[in-house]
Amino acid sequence: MLFKKGLFSKRRQMNEEMSLQITSMADIFTIILVFLLKSYATGAVNLAPTKGMLIPEANASAPASEALKVEISEKAVQVEGNPAAVLGAFRFEPSDLQGGGISKSLSTVLDRERKRQILIASHNADVKVDPKIIIVADKRTPYETVKTVLASAAVHGYTDFKLAVIKGD
Amino acid sequence: MSSVSSPGGGGGGGLDFELNLASIIDCFTVLITFMLASATFLSIGVLDAGIAAGGAEAASQQPPPVNITIELRKDMSVSVKVSGKENRSQTITAKNGGRDLESLVSQLGAVKSRWSSVNAAILQAENGVEYGELVKTMEAVRKNMPAVMLGGF
Repeated sequence: MLFKKGLFSKRRQMNEEMSLQITSMADIFTIILVFLLKSYATGAVNLAPTKGMLIPEANASAPASEALKVEISEKAVQVEGNPAAVLGAFRFEPSDLQGGGISKSLSTVLDRERKRQILIASHNADVKVDPKIIIVADKRTPYETVKTVLASAAVHGYTDFKLAVIKGD
Repeated sequence: MSSVSSPGGGGGGGLDFELNLASIIDCFTVLITFMLASATFLSIGVLDAGIAAGGAEAASQQPPPVNITIELRKDMSVSVKVSGKENRSQTITAKNGGRDLESLVSQLGAVKSRWSSVNAAILQAENGVEYGELVKTMEAVRKNMPAVMLGGF
């Protein structure tokens, strides 16, 4: 009985003095945090493709700069995140196409964007009408669809194409 | 826990305290969780591509001695056309079921060695060719021709 009591009191004393060694944990967390901060994709441009899109991979040294963003996915073409034209299996509806391989609905949206840019530029000397356009397209997109988007953009003065890719090694 | 003692050590009334790291750990845990949830580990870059059609800017520049047009075909072959001071056309056939981009690079290298001032090529494709193929070819072409313009429209 005396022995049991002594052992119990010793264990309780150990529990009271035990403290977690969290210094090493703090070190690990610091390293993880630094790594995450370094690899965190930050920049002036937010190019977040739609879920399920397969962006092609390439060695691209040029960073993305601010420009009008057009995304071509399986079911739609989006301009600045807003749906502009409906696609069916990466292809435009035949009724949406007009002479010169231009999409009517996409052309309407791009025209609106262009007019907005011109209006801003006319009121603010620091803003220039920009011919840049960033194309974020799924790698399965047929060239005819890409051509239609590029032609529709070129008609409205967007002639400096930037093709968004996932940076390779 | 980290503890700090006074330099003299041992003496009565020394500064012996422990840093409270628990709150820092809490903060780090929240930050790491947030960053892991929101981080996209894919870095997105851009490939520059102009338009093959001229415009006022292009018209003011000196035309190159030769124009190079590369066309991707659905049967995985690649056609290279050189026009201007040198006229020739060559088709690079498919290799191992894919496009023979190594041959394309060497072809363009040969043209570049003859016409060093040529820096641009026009890249176009047949309708059914996938965009991914176009980007791959563009990457290969850029090894010799830094300016790649998209054509065919």
